[in-house]
Amino acid sequence: MTRDSPSLECVNAADGCVLKPGGCWCIDQLERLDDLLHSTPVPHDCRLKIDASGLTDLDSAGVMLVVNRLRAQGVVWSNVDLADFNAHQLDLIHLIAERLDARAQPRQQRSALLPLLGRKAAEQAQALVSQFVFFGRIVEAVVEVARRPRLLRLRELTTQLETVGLNALPIVMLMTFLIGVVFAFLLGVQVQKFGANIFIVDGVSLAVTRELAPLLTAILVAGRSGAAFTAQIGAMKVTEEIDAIATLGLSPIQVLVLPRLLAIIITLPLLTFVGDVMGVLGSSLVAHAQLDITYYTFFERLKSVLPASTVWFGLAKTPVFAAAIALIACRNGFAVQRDARSVGEYTTKTVVQSLVAVILIDSLFAIAFPEGGL
Amino acid sequence: MPSAGALLQVENLHTHLGGQWLHKGINFSVGRGEVVALIGGSGTGKSVLLRQCIGLTRPSQGKVWLFGEDLCALSSQQLNQVRSRYGVLFQEGALFSSMTVAENVAAPLQEHTRLPLKLRNELVAMKIRLAGLPMEAANKRPSELSGGMKKRAALARALALEPELLFLDEPTSGLDPISAREFDHLLRVLCDSLGLTAFMATHDLDTLWGMVDRVIVLYAGKVIANGPVNEVAQLDHHWIRAYFSAHSGRQ
Repeated sequence: MTRDSPSLECVNAADGCVLKPGGCWCIDQLERLDDLLHSTPVPHDCRLKIDASGLTDLDSAGVMLVVNRLRAQGVVWSNVDLADFNAHQLDLIHLIAERLDARAQPRQQRSALLPLLGRKAAEQAQALVSQFVFFGRIVEAVVEVARRPRLLRLRELTTQLETVGLNALPIVMLMTFLIGVVFAFLLGVQVQKFGANIFIVDGVSLAVTRELAPLLTAILVAGRSGAAFTAQIGAMKVTEEIDAIATLGLSPIQVLVLPRLLAIIITLPLLTFVGDVMGVLGSSLVAHAQLDITYYTFFERLKSVLPASTVWFGLAKTPVFAAAIALIACRNGFAVQRDARSVGEYTTKTVVQSLVAVILIDSLFAIAFPEGGL
Repeated sequence: MPSAGALLQVENLHTHLGGQWLHKGINFSVGRGEVVALIGGSGTGKSVLLRQCIGLTRPSQGKVWLFGEDLCALSSQQLNQVRSRYGVLFQEGALFSSMTVAENVAAPLQEHTRLPLKLRNELVAMKIRLAGLPMEAANKRPSELSGGMKKRAALARALALEPELLFLDEPTSGLDPISAREFDHLLRVLCDSLGLTAFMATHDLDTLWGMVDRVIVLYAGKVIANGPVNEVAQLDHHWIRAYFSAHSGRQ
């Protein structure tokens, strides 16, 4: 598009001042127009006339600029004579001059550090309180279900058991197997130095069953199912499905949260046990290949050095992990607001918070029971 | 070839969707300065047709000429150039929810122009006022706005780049009758004074009677009527009769 470049002329006549804009006064020339208007002083104490005979094109951006700049120079817009504008342009000018009367500019809100700090602290306190409130509502729902087991939604529970447990099985098996392999390999290098090859069984079995498998499985489930819980519940909140559930006289907690909570509490120990087995299998493979320990020797040794109580201790932690993941995930799901950004924001929060919670709980267990299951 | 003076022309357009032919040879054109409404029952493909006119989806057959350019033949770069010449008002507003209203309106300016910040802010303020929003709305997020204000904010964004052509998908849906008439009036005033051409898909009879120059009726994949509202309303076709009598208690 070739457009005439804009120009502006100011002629001082006897009966007042005449502004002669020329060329194209449009948005793509706005910067030049601004310069032109700045470099043309307009006297505001005499009659002003705008002569549009040289004007080829005019849009709302151009009109706005003229109105704003002339007003800034003290010109009273209603006193300006508009000559040679066509009807369209006059309409446009009147509309914009009228609408721009409220001369407020959008101002960016910038808050100072202290109020920001206070607001953040209040938000955190609020989040903590709402977490407790949510916990209370869940306890209430659990008590209700314990009194009337008919309220438990078996179909939803089985669906969740499948997605949280069964579908997570391959990834959990693969990851714990790989961790078993890696851990056994690195430990194998060390025990070989001391000629204490057989002790690899002691180290690996303790590490895998007490720490690695429970923690790794919990982390996988937090990233996989925790994020899914938040996103599902959040999306339902956005489409008002949760309100619909409430208006049907059902409790959203019982319909949505309890099945998920139960499913994750039931499946996490099971997944962890599979993880234990896979981790030990992985390390037996490495022991065989790297340290020439036969499978028979490996598992004989395993029987004598790994007490069942160690495995039980590792498994006993997982329902606590599971409850923490489900609570955080579901609460964040309910906290989602009705816009697109919110779902992503809370899903991220869920993953971060549940990972932190899992590791915190794990360290609490380690400190509270340093000899637990040994 | 497109006829001279037509901003938008659709020629023999066919669309195959979900195993059946949704459009079976659609022809119409929209001239400069016209306000044209597209009506039709639910599922007749009004929104699909609108998306094809905007260049978001391609028709299975046929041509869409926008500003005299064949949309299907354009490279994505040329298409983007064409896109800066029209504005679109989506049904739910489609405001970016993470930005304030002012940032929403500024977004197209930021992408397509290199104006200094001060001028851009002035333009944004003007567009917001032009769309009939109070200045206090500028710093609000879309989630804090009512339905009518959302539409107005979306309109301000659609007008940001001084478009020649405005596409509107159900501009008054979800508004109460009073806000809907106000919005119609605003649209008409803006179309007249900004010299806009408007092409809208709508259901709203009052919009048709109130502000539209021409109506195009879509039925069973074809255009069955094309003309001023009072002429179309007289036509003897069962769907048109049913459509216009749906509100006849009013008259």
